Amino acid sequence: MPPVKPARNWWLWGGSVGFLVAMTWWSAVGIGFSMTELACNITGGGRLLQESWPPDFAFLPRLVEPFMETVYIAIIGTVVGGILAVPVAVLAARNLTLGPLVWFADRNFMNVLRTLPDLFWAMLFATAVGFGPVAGALALSVFTIAVVSKLWSESLEAIDMGLPEAVRSVGGSWLQMVQFGAIPQGLQHYVSYVLYAFELNVRASMVLGLVGAGGIGMILETQRANFEYERVTMIILAVLVAVLVIEQISETIRKKLT
Amino acid sequence: MSDRKGSIRFTDANIVYPNGAVGMKDLNLEIEPGEFVVIVGSSGAGKSTLLRAVNGLNRLTSGHVEVDGVAVPQKDGRELRELRAGVGMIFQDFRLVKRLTVMSNVLIGRLAHVPGWRAMFNLWPAADREIAARALKRVGISEKAWVKASQLSGGQQQRVGIARALAQEPAIILADEPVASLDPVTTHQIMRDLVRINRELGITTLVNLHFLDLARQYGQRIIGLRFGELVYDGSAETVTDEDFRDIYGRDFTEDDVLDEDAV
Repeated sequence: MPPVKPARNWWLWGGSVGFLVAMTWWSAVGIGFSMTELACNITGGGRLLQESWPPDFAFLPRLVEPFMETVYIAIIGTVVGGILAVPVAVLAARNLTLGPLVWFADRNFMNVLRTLPDLFWAMLFATAVGFGPVAGALALSVFTIAVVSKLWSESLEAIDMGLPEAVRSVGGSWLQMVQFGAIPQGLQHYVSYVLYAFELNVRASMVLGLVGAGGIGMILETQRANFEYERVTMIILAVLVAVLVIEQISETIRKKLT
Repeated sequence: MSDRKGSIRFTDANIVYPNGAVGMKDLNLEIEPGEFVVIVGSSGAGKSTLLRAVNGLNRLTSGHVEVDGVAVPQKDGRELRELRAGVGMIFQDFRLVKRLTVMSNVLIGRLAHVPGWRAMFNLWPAADREIAARALKRVGISEKAWVKASQLSGGQQQRVGIARALAQEPAIILADEPVASLDPVTTHQIMRDLVRINRELGITTLVNLHFLDLARQYGQRIIGLRFGELVYDGSAETVTDEDFRDIYGRDFTEDDVLDEDAV
């Protein structure tokens, strides 16, 4: 006799759906969302779309320079942040850290970095070093530390501790245990996470331009403010293609690594 | 007592693990420089615990352990690292850096002998490279020096493990179940290597084994442990099946020997 299929728990199922609907309704009321208002304003959106087409291809050559600036910002942010993420990640891994106090301090440091969004860091650095690509690169460095250290410290916690112990057994120091025992085991993950951070950084560095941190986002913002919607469309299209290409390359490398 | 290095002495030594398990109980044991000692006992009898107490990987709960008359430091620091530098260790699972070459793995045995920055940037002094090359030669795999460790067979990987220990130029080698992941043929090769190195270099060698016939065949002195206690200490030539029964607390089966004909 085949095993009897257990009856579906309709109460749980219905309850979950009901809960979701209620939460959405409650939230919509909370932000003053109204269907009638949306319907009245949708014509405005339609006009916007009309003005945005066709994309202004003549504008394309003027995008090259700011776009390269965006890529430069992303590269610097990824490299600087990727290097600084190494000690942060190692000290945040329970099995490698130097002691409970160091671990606790480092974990909280990481939490602060992650809690504050990249836009916040961009504005902070723009105030500190002036508007421009340097502020953007600094902001993305912090963002990269946050992303890579979080992901990598978790994969470092899953390594086989036999090798680090072997390094200890030959009289190796803590640093040597990390260098020869732990990092070789986590290297593939590290490269993969840094490439992932680069993908995020290319995308983020466009948003950063909106707050004056340089790159293609800055052009996007000026054209939008001047109601040059056909140029805006061109920028969005160009960025879309570029991001897809970069992600494809990065993804191919990451797949090869694992 | 001679001035040769490599003596070990346990005095009333006890190890109780945080979970309450007894790893070592009132151990009194003296090992002379150059001895080849095989430690037997069922799993959980405290074989690894004993080896790992010699290089401070396991800390004593009470009592003393000395290497060449100097107490093994019971906390991390320079003194413990200096002691470990002179004690090689070989593991059941080899514990090599798989993505690095054989040579780089053997050089890890020199870590405690060179300035930290040199090891960090892979700028090993010629003298240390020479020592590593000699260690590889002694286990007969010089031709594999520039091959990645991951590409070697189990037996070859264990030889790299032995070479890494030899590169430390140790007075003592601790081998924790060195053949437990190897096939019978390779097992005998590795055991012969260990015996030969012990004879040639006079390095005190402690080997944990769970195969009784191997213990009898290769051991010079056999130590039996049961529940962390020393229950047998004698020559391999005179050890009887009765002794093994006492050590294991039961009749032994074909699981306890490598070559089934030996039962």
